[in-house]
Amino acid sequence: MFTQFGTTAENFSKASTMVFRIGTDAHLYDDPDDVSISPLLDSKFDSEKCEALKRLLALIAQGLDVSNYFPQVVKNVASQSLEVKKLVYLYLLHYAERRPNEALLSINIFQRDLGDQNPLVRAWALRTMAGIRLHVISPLVLVAVRKCSRDPSVYVRKCAANALPKLHDLRLEENATSIIEIIGILLNDNSPGVVGAAAAAFASVCPNNLPLIGRNYKRLCEILPDVEEWGQIILIGILLRYVIARHGLAKESIMASLLPNIFNNENTGSESDTDYLEIKKTYEIGIQEPELVAMVSRSYLAGHDKYLSHLNNSDTISSENTSSRFTSSKNDENVKILLQCTSPLLWSRNSAVVLAAAGVHWIMAPVEEISKIVKPLLFLLRSSDASKYVVLCNIQVFAKVMPSLFGQNIEDFFISSSDAYQVKALKLEILSSIATDASISVIFQEFQDYVRDPDRRFAANTVVAIGLCAKKNPQVAHTCVEGLLALTSPKSINSTSGSMDDEAVVLIQAITSIKDIIKQDPPSHENAIICLIRNLDAIKVPVARAMIVWIAGEYNSVGNIIPKMVPVILRFLARDFPSESIETKYQILNAAVKVLLNSKGEDFHTAKSVLSYVLDLAKFDLNYDIRDRARVLRKLLSCYFSSSGLEEKEDNDEIPLLLAEHIFGETIKASTEMFNNRFYLPGSLSQIVFHAAPGYEPLPEPCSLTESDMVKGLEGPTQTEDNDSDVDSGSLNEEEGSYYSEDSVTASTGTDNESAASESDNNNTDSLINFSDVGKPQEAANGLSEFMSKGALESWLDDNDNPGSSQNVAGIDNNERISSARISIGDISTRIKPKIYTLLDPTYGNGLKVVYKYSSEVSTMSPSLVSVDTIFENCSSDPMTKLFLTHEDYELLDQGSSSESQKDVPDFVPMEKIAILEPGQTIKRVIHVHFHHHLLPMKLILWFNDKKHPVKLRPDIGYFIKPFIMDLDVFSQKESQLPGMFEYTRRCSFTDHLAELASDDKDGDVPSTKDSFLIICESLASKMLSNANLHLVSVNMPVDANLNDASGLCLRFSGEILSNSIPCLVSVTLDGKSFEPLNATVKINCEETVFGLNLLNRIVNFLPEPRLTS
Amino acid sequence: MLQCIFLLSDSGEVMLEKQLTGHRVDRSICAWFWEQSVSQPDSFKVLPVIASPTHYLFQIVREGITFLACTQVEMQPLMGIEFLCRVADVLSDYLGGLNEDVIKDNFVIVYELLDEMIDNGFPLTTEPNILRDMIAPPNIVSKMLSVVTGNTSNVSDTLPGATSSCVPWRTTQLKHANNDVYVNLVEELDAIINSDGVLVKCEIFGVVEVNSHLSGIPDLTLSFANPSILNDVQFHPCIRFRPWESEKVLSFVPPDGLFKLMSYRVKKLRNTPIYVKPQMSSESGTCRLSVMVGIRNDPGKAVDSLVVQFQLPHCVSSANLTANHGTVNILADKTCSWSIGRIPKDKAPQMSGTLVLEDGVEQLQVKPTFCVGFKIMGVALSGLKINKLDVKNLPTPAHKGFRAQTEAGQYEVRS
Repeated sequence: MFTQFGTTAENFSKASTMVFRIGTDAHLYDDPDDVSISPLLDSKFDSEKCEALKRLLALIAQGLDVSNYFPQVVKNVASQSLEVKKLVYLYLLHYAERRPNEALLSINIFQRDLGDQNPLVRAWALRTMAGIRLHVISPLVLVAVRKCSRDPSVYVRKCAANALPKLHDLRLEENATSIIEIIGILLNDNSPGVVGAAAAAFASVCPNNLPLIGRNYKRLCEILPDVEEWGQIILIGILLRYVIARHGLAKESIMASLLPNIFNNENTGSESDTDYLEIKKTYEIGIQEPELVAMVSRSYLAGHDKYLSHLNNSDTISSENTSSRFTSSKNDENVKILLQCTSPLLWSRNSAVVLAAAGVHWIMAPVEEISKIVKPLLFLLRSSDASKYVVLCNIQVFAKVMPSLFGQNIEDFFISSSDAYQVKALKLEILSSIATDASISVIFQEFQDYVRDPDRRFAANTVVAIGLCAKKNPQVAHTCVEGLLALTSPKSINSTSGSMDDEAVVLIQAITSIKDIIKQDPPSHENAIICLIRNLDAIKVPVARAMIVWIAGEYNSVGNIIPKMVPVILRFLARDFPSESIETKYQILNAAVKVLLNSKGEDFHTAKSVLSYVLDLAKFDLNYDIRDRARVLRKLLSCYFSSSGLEEKEDNDEIPLLLAEHIFGETIKASTEMFNNRFYLPGSLSQIVFHAAPGYEPLPEPCSLTESDMVKGLEGPTQTEDNDSDVDSGSLNEEEGSYYSEDSVTASTGTDNESAASESDNNNTDSLINFSDVGKPQEAANGLSEFMSKGALESWLDDNDNPGSSQNVAGIDNNERISSARISIGDISTRIKPKIYTLLDPTYGNGLKVVYKYSSEVSTMSPSLVSVDTIFENCSSDPMTKLFLTHEDYELLDQGSSSESQKDVPDFVPMEKIAILEPGQTIKRVIHVHFHHHLLPMKLILWFNDKKHPVKLRPDIGYFIKPFIMDLDVFSQKESQLPGMFEYTRRCSFTDHLAELASDDKDGDVPSTKDSFLIICESLASKMLSNANLHLVSVNMPVDANLNDASGLCLRFSGEILSNSIPCLVSVTLDGKSFEPLNATVKINCEETVFGLNLLNRIVNFLPEPRLTS
Repeated sequence: MLQCIFLLSDSGEVMLEKQLTGHRVDRSICAWFWEQSVSQPDSFKVLPVIASPTHYLFQIVREGITFLACTQVEMQPLMGIEFLCRVADVLSDYLGGLNEDVIKDNFVIVYELLDEMIDNGFPLTTEPNILRDMIAPPNIVSKMLSVVTGNTSNVSDTLPGATSSCVPWRTTQLKHANNDVYVNLVEELDAIINSDGVLVKCEIFGVVEVNSHLSGIPDLTLSFANPSILNDVQFHPCIRFRPWESEKVLSFVPPDGLFKLMSYRVKKLRNTPIYVKPQMSSESGTCRLSVMVGIRNDPGKAVDSLVVQFQLPHCVSSANLTANHGTVNILADKTCSWSIGRIPKDKAPQMSGTLVLEDGVEQLQVKPTFCVGFKIMGVALSGLKINKLDVKNLPTPAHKGFRAQTEAGQYEVRS
């Protein structure tokens, strides 16, 4: 401990600071390995052990791997000192997964500790035991959790609840029922603390098992205020989901916009309709844009993507949403109690609780009572900066949907100089959406201050907000324009301070806003246009200048003064044409044409001469695009430039003239604003990042939970208790549903097969290499061929100048600009050899050999089933009878196969019985299995000769998908839609091609017919297709590739997940020399994160495997 | 659920990592994060929710320390942020402030605390009272003891009784020699005065702080003389909702020590106690600036620690400012700070001088905002008055004390 004080002169100062650090663990962090740790760990003194463990912890904190001490640390778990125990636990949890075998050594101690007198020891043992996540000990953990869930100590019960998600993470189906059962017990606990933790477990294990909530709904609502704040956050969400699934949406709430006919008065007469009218009245209090409300509520309910897909057939939606799916928040007891119990939570000090409670009120409360959430939400703006931003993001949505909600509180959104830039931007946006006729003047007063803010980026944002306000409230448009014009006036521009760039941003934004406002009603803003044009001389920023020229050209015939001004301006501009910037030049050309088309008489000739002057100048411009444009315009308007003008134009001039008038003559209508925002549930992460985060789920289908579901759910756990066997009775297994949402499977399989077949017909047996140009139209200019990488291409061609043989070089157009070459491999189906697995070995099965392989054909029974070809072979000398396969818990399954709740258990369509199998005979059967994405072996029982043999069927994730036929364009489009979170990459090696290349070399007498690239591609493609049911989209190679360098070779595959038709894109990029082992980078783009990662792991596993020798 | 928590120093060094679930997060994410925040300092550094290529990140920054939490699945971002704030509060409470050194020096305690505060990505024990019972905070005595005896244990070997009681925020079996409880109203005045001198926003953000040292399980009732002004509040979990809803009294069993019982907001006040009047006029490259400060509505007590701060615009090349009272400081980052202290009786403090603008800049177009700080002891400007505090269930009578003070919060004067 005093080693620090062995001071030498030079580090005396260091030592003096150490004085203040005595007694802390400073030296341990600074030099964790200055003493040998091993002997300390073996010491018999607790203090030395402690020191060693602290040193290890310091190394972990610094990111070093100290897992090699694992065995020594593990044995210290038996220490009586709680501090040593705690430190050992910290270490264990960090490394246990990496050292499973040694971790097992600690299990006995945990078992002992679980029986300890001290609840703290019991809780720690349980936490650590569950936390080390080993499959082997999961039964022990389950027993421990079960025991602890009945522990007298609240703390231990809470830890038991927290252990359940850890257990669930191991994805062992045999535990699933028990886990849910324990959650049920804990949700029923007397202590609010335990209920909170149980709610968290529920949310992460089985969020869709709502019947479990139904049992305790009222009690959970009542206990909610007493639950710890973190539990409240989760529990609020669960209760909301339950109420909607069980009782439906409230017809007085904003979600009522989904009610049919709420916005049209067509129906009169029946009782319910008068009801609607009344609702409609209250409803219109605060809502200005019913379309937006409907869209928001729909996306809460269906998720954004689904909503978009339904956009086109919205009729069906509204008819679906019959009023039966709505309840009343005023009359329904269950809704009322939820609203009552969440009301006090709006006063919580925890911002997350407030927002969650506000979310419930937003969705369920009657429209006129939503205002309750305003004050609590605004209060959160005084909490930390980080939560302020998140709260504002949510308020922004509320304010857009219901501007009146925050109309009284504009000063809360006034900007304070200490706000972060993002917060300022959000506040501005909110202000511009809640501005009303009454408040607009105050808001403008504020905006005037903001425009002078030193942060010019923020000032530019303010200008945008002013524009938005003007668009929303046309009566203030003139005031806005005046204010904005002041910003563009020469005075303000000339005296600009600081960097010009900052000021230019404001100027450009101001002109953009003016332009947008003018667009709404050009004639009334004549003065503004004139003013802008007058300022043209002073404005030097190219973009701003170009915009003003555009405005001048576009509105050249508005009012009385402008038509006189514009030709003058044009002449002025034409004089300085060569010195203008490129974008201004474009606009000058456009404006000149527009003026010409609009002018008559005297002006016409002026305009014509100006245009032809400009066109002449443009012809010799440095910029080729300007030259081209001038040429096009001249051709288009040739009639105007023909010797005698308009009157004598020939017939065939008619078309260009019409064309020109269409291009330049049409006035632009004010376009209706599109809502391109995405909406997710309030308070969710997805709402902040604007995409559906993995695991995001919209609200459940209203009233989807029926009475019978409830009963089933209630029976579930008791039933398993009766059975009390470790088999999976499958009565309550909805937990998997959270990961793989069960969408209806719509894809038709037959057509897919056909098209696949026809495509392989087209690509006849020989390989083709064709170079495709990506998206560029064919250029006629011959000179262009110089630009392409000819050398590389020709070397490629020279190697393959054997058009008759296996490689056809076709479709190469020298005039194309080629960025990458595309190789099409013909039919490699002969080379696809699916892996064969053994189900039963003849040595164990009395001479019966059963093998199976996954078939690439889509099951005939149902598109979501995986078909497995199973081959039975009798290797013995006696005939065998009555062969068939059953599920392990066949009897149980048989009883309850109709029950819906067991839909997630892997099961399979019963197999046709084989009556007799003669010696030596082989019979093939196809079994159809529904794996539900479970990756653990499925336990089956093989019956023959009336005896049963347990066998295991190993699922292959590569066959949980089916080929998804698409072309490269579609592929790259889809790929670009799945970036970031949905993209996973791993690397592995690939060696298959080596054997083939070697064998090719050996056959020296036959001229090498195949190119090494092709061999690599073929071997990789066949490997992929043999192991996964994918469609080969394309094979691309870089054009400038060297002969022996396969780097950059890229194979793309596509498939879609059987159960929910979500596309799954696989790209394999190779790297390395052709005759050496290659590095493959496998990339998967898939919306189903978990599935995608699993598939990626599978691919990375099989790619390096040596080739099948059969 | 949170998957991992990282603590980063102000130079981007990862000081600590705590993996929370089986889905291990590589610390390379921190390198990515730091690179991004260095390359886009103004937009990235302050963004609390970030979607990185592999994870969603939540960040808060406290005194230079970045607390970073990662998740890959949907969860309430506020829950992550609020938890990180709670961690920062607890750590700074334990370690007496936050900086790189104290975290490194006490990394074992930080680990132990984190382990207790979060389990499998879900918060477990976050009540400071309970945590103190489980893990002893480092103090001088224990430091000395550890040096002398070599015994360093700060982990309690018994489970605090509070974890199982119905008041999970309070340690059970507390014994104090002197029973006393202090109630302190701390109010902050937020105000915005726009460039025309109009008060556009003026509100009080107040906190009822209670410092309780009471034995056993006392039951307290706090009532106000004018509870009607409290219509916008946030409560500590110990407050019972029913009595508040029916009688507007605060009934609670307090945690031990100092805590925030309630926060409240009183909006739309009409007056501020002081006035700050900046005047700027610029011509031909120089700008004359004068700021006057004085009492507008006498709050009855002295206005103390008065400070006026503002940021000089970028285009100002030099400034020459003097004051007739107090001191004027111009810092390297162009922050100008005028410390006045207490307003003198005989004269109105005034700061004046000239700002020299950069070459080519004729007039000052951008206007700085003046941030005002002050402190008034003994007054709650909102007018909130405590009526009485009843203490029940206590063997001996407790000593009670009340105080009030008002500070400037976000008090801004635009010029």
